[in-house]
Amino acid sequence: MASINSVEWRSICDKFTNAQRLTETESRNDPENDPFRSKYKARELLREVYCSLKSFEAGDGEEDAGGENCEQRPPDQPVDGQTEDAFSQGFSGDSPAGMRAAKLGAVEYYLGVNHVDTEELSAGQEHLMNCMKMLEKCRASSENVSLFIHVRNQLGILWAGRDETETAQGFLESAESIYQRYMKEDGRPPTDMTEYFTTEENLLTHQERTKRLFELAYTHTMYYLAQVYKNLGENERAATYCHSTLQRQLQLNQFSPMEWALNAATLSQYYITKGRYMEGRHCLAAATVISGLAGEVPSEAAAQESETESERREQLQQKRAEIARCWIKYCLNLLQDAKKLLEDNIGELDTDRQDELKRARRQEEEEEEKGRKSALLFGSEDTFDSIASVEEKVMCLFPLDFTEARTVFLVGQNYVTQAKEYFQMDGYVTDHIEILQDHSSLFRALAFFEEDLERRCKMHKRRVDMLEPICNDLNSRYYLLIRRQLMFELAETYNEMMDLKLTLANRQADNHSLDGHTIKKFNHLCSASAKYFQMFLDSLCSPEGKPPEHLEEEVLRPALVARFRVARLHSKLISSSPPVQLENLNRALENYKYVVQYCEAHPEAPAAVETELELSTEMVGLLPLKINRLKSRMAANN
Amino acid sequence: IMSKNKSSESVKVVVRCRPLSRKEESNGPAGGIVQMDLRLGQVILRNPRAPPSEPQKTFTFDAVYDSSSKQRDLYDESVRPLIDSVLAGFNGTIFAYGQTGTGKTYTMQGLWLDPEKQGVIPNAFDHIFTHISRSQSDKQYLVRASYLEIYLEEIRDLLDPNHGNTRGLELRESPETGVYVQDLTSCVCKSIKEIEEVMNVGNQARAVGATDMNEHSSRSHALFLITVECSQPGPDGRKHIRVGRLNLVDLAGSERQAKTGVQGDRLKEAAKINLSLSALGNVISALADGRSSHVPYRDSKLTRLLQDSLGGNAKTVMVATLGPAPQHYDETLTTLRYANRAKNIQNQPRVNEDPKDALLREFQKEIARLRAQLNHRRFRSKQKKEQVDGEAWERDGDEEEEEVEEEEVEKEAEEFVKLEEQRLEKENEAIREDQFLLAEEKQKLLGENEKMMGNLRKRQEATEQLTARYKAMESKLLVGGKNIIDHTNEQQKMLEMKRQEIAEQTRREREMQQQMLIQDEEAVELRETFTSLQQEVEAKTKKLKKLYAKLQCTKAEIKDVNDEHVRSRQELEQTQNELTRELKFKYLIIENFIPPEEKNKIMNRLMFDPDEDEWKFKPLVPDERLVPLIFHHF
Repeated sequence: MASINSVEWRSICDKFTNAQRLTETESRNDPENDPFRSKYKARELLREVYCSLKSFEAGDGEEDAGGENCEQRPPDQPVDGQTEDAFSQGFSGDSPAGMRAAKLGAVEYYLGVNHVDTEELSAGQEHLMNCMKMLEKCRASSENVSLFIHVRNQLGILWAGRDETETAQGFLESAESIYQRYMKEDGRPPTDMTEYFTTEENLLTHQERTKRLFELAYTHTMYYLAQVYKNLGENERAATYCHSTLQRQLQLNQFSPMEWALNAATLSQYYITKGRYMEGRHCLAAATVISGLAGEVPSEAAAQESETESERREQLQQKRAEIARCWIKYCLNLLQDAKKLLEDNIGELDTDRQDELKRARRQEEEEEEKGRKSALLFGSEDTFDSIASVEEKVMCLFPLDFTEARTVFLVGQNYVTQAKEYFQMDGYVTDHIEILQDHSSLFRALAFFEEDLERRCKMHKRRVDMLEPICNDLNSRYYLLIRRQLMFELAETYNEMMDLKLTLANRQADNHSLDGHTIKKFNHLCSASAKYFQMFLDSLCSPEGKPPEHLEEEVLRPALVARFRVARLHSKLISSSPPVQLENLNRALENYKYVVQYCEAHPEAPAAVETELELSTEMVGLLPLKINRLKSRMAANN
Repeated sequence: IMSKNKSSESVKVVVRCRPLSRKEESNGPAGGIVQMDLRLGQVILRNPRAPPSEPQKTFTFDAVYDSSSKQRDLYDESVRPLIDSVLAGFNGTIFAYGQTGTGKTYTMQGLWLDPEKQGVIPNAFDHIFTHISRSQSDKQYLVRASYLEIYLEEIRDLLDPNHGNTRGLELRESPETGVYVQDLTSCVCKSIKEIEEVMNVGNQARAVGATDMNEHSSRSHALFLITVECSQPGPDGRKHIRVGRLNLVDLAGSERQAKTGVQGDRLKEAAKINLSLSALGNVISALADGRSSHVPYRDSKLTRLLQDSLGGNAKTVMVATLGPAPQHYDETLTTLRYANRAKNIQNQPRVNEDPKDALLREFQKEIARLRAQLNHRRFRSKQKKEQVDGEAWERDGDEEEEEVEEEEVEKEAEEFVKLEEQRLEKENEAIREDQFLLAEEKQKLLGENEKMMGNLRKRQEATEQLTARYKAMESKLLVGGKNIIDHTNEQQKMLEMKRQEIAEQTRREREMQQQMLIQDEEAVELRETFTSLQQEVEAKTKKLKKLYAKLQCTKAEIKDVNDEHVRSRQELEQTQNELTRELKFKYLIIENFIPPEEKNKIMNRLMFDPDEDEWKFKPLVPDERLVPLIFHHF
C-alpha cells in the first residue's frame, strides 16, 4: 500500500472530505431549481476518489473485481447471503487486501447514498450492491463492521421505499445479527468509514466518537426494523423494536429527555391495550423519571419575563400533563380489566372467582419477578433505581379486592389532578372533559369493588357531580358528540344509583312497603335518568324536533338502548295516583313500540340490540293488558 | 335512497380548469387533456400516454368551469348562494384546492382592478356590503375580518404589524364557542374599501415574511375570515342576533399536501421509512392507536381550525383547480380523485342564533351606555342654561330616544356654550372698563371669570370626546340606507336579479340532468317484469354490456395505478442511465485535464453531524481529555 503521507493519498483524502462537506452542508443551500447541485458535485468527487483508489493501488497486483463489472446479479433479486459467512470467510479486515476492499466498498457506499439522495434509486442500489460485493471478500472486523451495518441500513431504506418490505426486512435483520455477533465475538470500538480517508494521526483520538457513530447506526437499524414490522402489520415486534430503540437512546445518552419520556409514555399505551401491564408500567415509570431530567418548570414570574422561559414552561407543563394522562389510562385499564375478570353474568363481584384468583396470586408474583428479569429494561446506572421506585408505587397485577383497587384508584386520581392543572376547561375543553370522563370511569370501576352499597352509591354521586355541570354548560353547536356521551353516561349513572337505592331499601324493609322518603328519592333518580336518556334522544332530532327516520350506525345502538331504558324507567316510576300511573305506562309502551317498530323497518337494527328487542317485544305484548286492567280499575273506582 | 337527515348536506364541489398557457401550447400539438361537459357537470380526463382504446375517466361534480368560463359565472352559480347563507347566519367555507400554478389564487382573488376578473373574495366583499346597504333599517350589522396563514404548523396573524417577530398563535377551545385562535386580530370593517384595505395589509405581511413568494405561498395555507353579525327585532320584540362566519381558504399547493398534511394527515405514505429518529414518536403513536388509551397526538392546526367545515356545522364549497397540459396528467388525476372524495363529506349547517360571543351585543350595550352618559351631561348643561336664561323651557320626557331631537339638543348645547362664552367675555370687558373698581378687585373678578371659562371649555371638551366615541362606535354598526348606501340604480338591480335567476336556473338544470342520468341507470335495473323471454334476454344483455363497460373502467383504473408506478420507475432508470453515461464522459475529461485543487484547511475541519443538526469542529490538537466533553453533546 502506498504511503499514508504520499501526495496522492493526501489528494484522495481531500477529495473525500470535500465530497462529505458538499453532501452534508453545502447541499442545504442549493437553489430550488437546481436542488441537487452540491450532491452532483460530491458525486463527481467520489468518482474521482474511486478511480484514484483503484489506480493508486493497482500495483498491488490483486485481481480487480469491483466497480464496473457488476452485472452478474440481476438487481431485482438482491440477496443478502453473507450473514453467516461474514465472520468466517474472506480477507481479514486489517490485511492490505481487506483494507483495500473496505475502502473501495466505502466509496461505493457513499456513491450509493448519493444516488439515492438524488432520487436515482436504481443506480444507488447498484452502488450499494457493489459495496456489498466488496465486503463479501472480507471478514467482519473492527475495521469494516461499521460499513457492514451502514450499507444494510441503506439497502433496507431503499427497498422499503419501493414497497418491498420483505426485502428491506432481510437487509435490516442481517445488519442486526452482524452487530450482535460482532459485539459478542469482538466488541472492540470499530473504525468509522469516514476514517478510511483521514491522515493516520487523527485515528486514535476519534475512537470514542466512532464507537458512538457505530452504536448510533445500530440504533437506526432497530428503528428501521420497527417501521418495517409496523408496515408488515407485526405490531408486537414493532413495539419491541421501538422499545429497543428507546432503550439504546437512553443507554448511549443520545436523547432529549422530554421527547424520550413522551415516546416511552406513548409506548406504554400500546402495552396496556395488550394487557401487558408490567411493560406498560415500566415505560411509564421511566417516562416519569426521564421527564424529570428536563428540569424544573420555570415559575410564572420567570415565564413573564422571557419568551424562551415561557415557551419552556408551556412545553414542560404540557408534556408532563400528557404523561399523567397516560398514567390515568394505565390505572383505569388495570381496574377495568380486573373488573372484567371478576364479574359474574349480572355484573356483580364473583367471590368464588375472587378466591380462586387470590390463590393463584402467589404464583403470578413469582412469574412477575421472572418476567422482570427477562424483560427489556430501561435505565442507565443512575436512573435505574429511581425508575424502580416509581414502579413500586402502583401494582401491575390485577387488583383483586377493594383495598388493592383503592390504591390503584388513588394513584389514578392523583394523576387526574395533575393533568387537569394544565388541561383546564378554559382553553382545552376536549382534553379537560376526556380527563373528567376518565375520572368518572375510575370511580365506576372502583365502585364495583366496594361492598357497602351506601358508599357505592356515593361514588356514583361523585360522578354525577363532576359531569352534570359540564354537560349543561357545553355548547351543543360545537360539542354535540361530547355532550351526547355525557348525557348517556349521566343517564346510566342515575340508573345505577336508582338500582342501588332500591336494593338498599328492599334490604332494610323486608316487606315491599317503602317509606315516603325512599319513594321520593327513588322517583327522583328514576326521572333524572329518564331525563338524560331523553335529552340524548332529543339531540338526535332534526332542528324541527323530529326524530331521524334512519339512525346512523354509530348511534344506532345507543339510541335504541336509550329508548328501551326510557320505557323501563317509566314503568318503574312509583305513584299512587292511577292517572299518573296510566300516563307513565303509556309512555313506556310508546317507547317499547318504537324499538320494535324501528327494528321491523330496518333489517340491520335487530342484530345491534338483541336482548333489548326481545324484552321490548314481550313488553309490547304485556303492557296493554296491564294498562287495560288499570283502566278498568279506574273506571270501577269512579 | 337518500337516508340522511334533511338537516345534512354534502360539500359542494366544483372544478375549474385554466386555459393552456402559451408555453404549453408550443410544447406540442397534443392539446389539453381535460374535457368538460358544462351542462352535465362532468370532467372527462384523457390519459395522454394511454392508447386511444382505453376508456377515458369521467367525474361528475356540482358544477364545472372550463377555460372560457368567467369569474362572474363561477361566483353567481356556485358561491353566491353560500354567501347568502352566511348573511342569513350560517357558517360558510370556500376552499381552493389544486396544484400550484392551476389558478387557485386567480380564482380566489383574481385581478382586483378589472371588474370582470375579480375573484371570489372581492366579489364576496361586494356582495356582503351591497346586501347590507339594501337591508331594512331595523337591521343592524357588524362586519369583522381576520387574516391568518398556517405555515409549517405555525399560525401567523397577518393583521398584526409585529407578526414577524412574535411566536405563532395558539389554538384554544372554549366551552361556548369551540375552537378559536388565541389573540387573533380582528378588524371591524365599515365598507368595501375598509375590508379591501385589511386584505391588502395582510397580503403585504404575507409577502414580507417570505423570501420566495411562490415557494412560500405554495407551502402555506391562507385563511381570510369574515364574521357578519346581524341584529333584528324578532316577533317577541327583542333584538335577536345571527352570526354568519365565512372562511375563505387558499390551500397550499396540492403537490405539497403530503408534506403539509391537510388530508387528515394520517394519510400515510405507504411503506416509506422515516429516517430521522425525531419521528420515533409517530411510529409509536401508530402502534398505540386505540380506543382505551391516550395517545399524545395533535391533529394538524388546519384540520382543527376547519373541523366545522368538513363534516360539521357549515356549508362548504370546494373549488378544485386543474391544469389542462398533458404533463400534468398525474397531478390532475390526483386532484380530481380528491375532489371526488370530498363530495361525500356531510355537513350539518345550522343558523347561529344569539351566540354568547356576539360582539354586536357588546357594541349595542356600549353604545347605550355612552348615549346615557351623553344625555346626562346635556341634561345638566341644559339645566344650567335654564338657570342662566331664567327662561321657562318645556322639556320633553323622552328626549333620549329620538335621534332628530338629539341633534337639536346637540346644537342647543353648542349654542349655549357660545352664548355663555360671549356673556363671560362681555362681563370681562365690563369689569375692565369699570373704573370704579379697585385694580385688585378687578383682577380677582377677572380671574374668577377666567376660571369659569376654563371649566366651561373642559366640560365642552369632555362632551365632545364622549360624542366622538359614541359616534365612532355607532358608525361601526351598519344600517342599510343610513350609514351605508347603495349606489346602484333600479335598472342595475333588475339586471343583477335576472342574472342571479339565470344562474339559479342553470344550477337546477344541471342537477336535474345529473338526476336523470342516475335514474336512467336505475330504471334499467327496475324493469324486471318481462313480457317474453326474448325481452328478458335483451334487457339482460343490455345490462350486462353496461356492467361490463363499468368493469372495464374499474380494471383500467387499477391497471393505471399500477402502471403509474412502473412507468415512473422506468423513466427514472432511463434518465439515470443517460446521466451516468454523460457523467462518465465528464469524469474522463476531468480526470485527464484538470489538476486536483488545493483545499481550504478550515473547511476540512468542519464536520456536520446529521443527527444533531449541528456543526462540529474536529479538534485541532488531538487531546484525549477533550474528547468526552465533545461527545457529551451527542
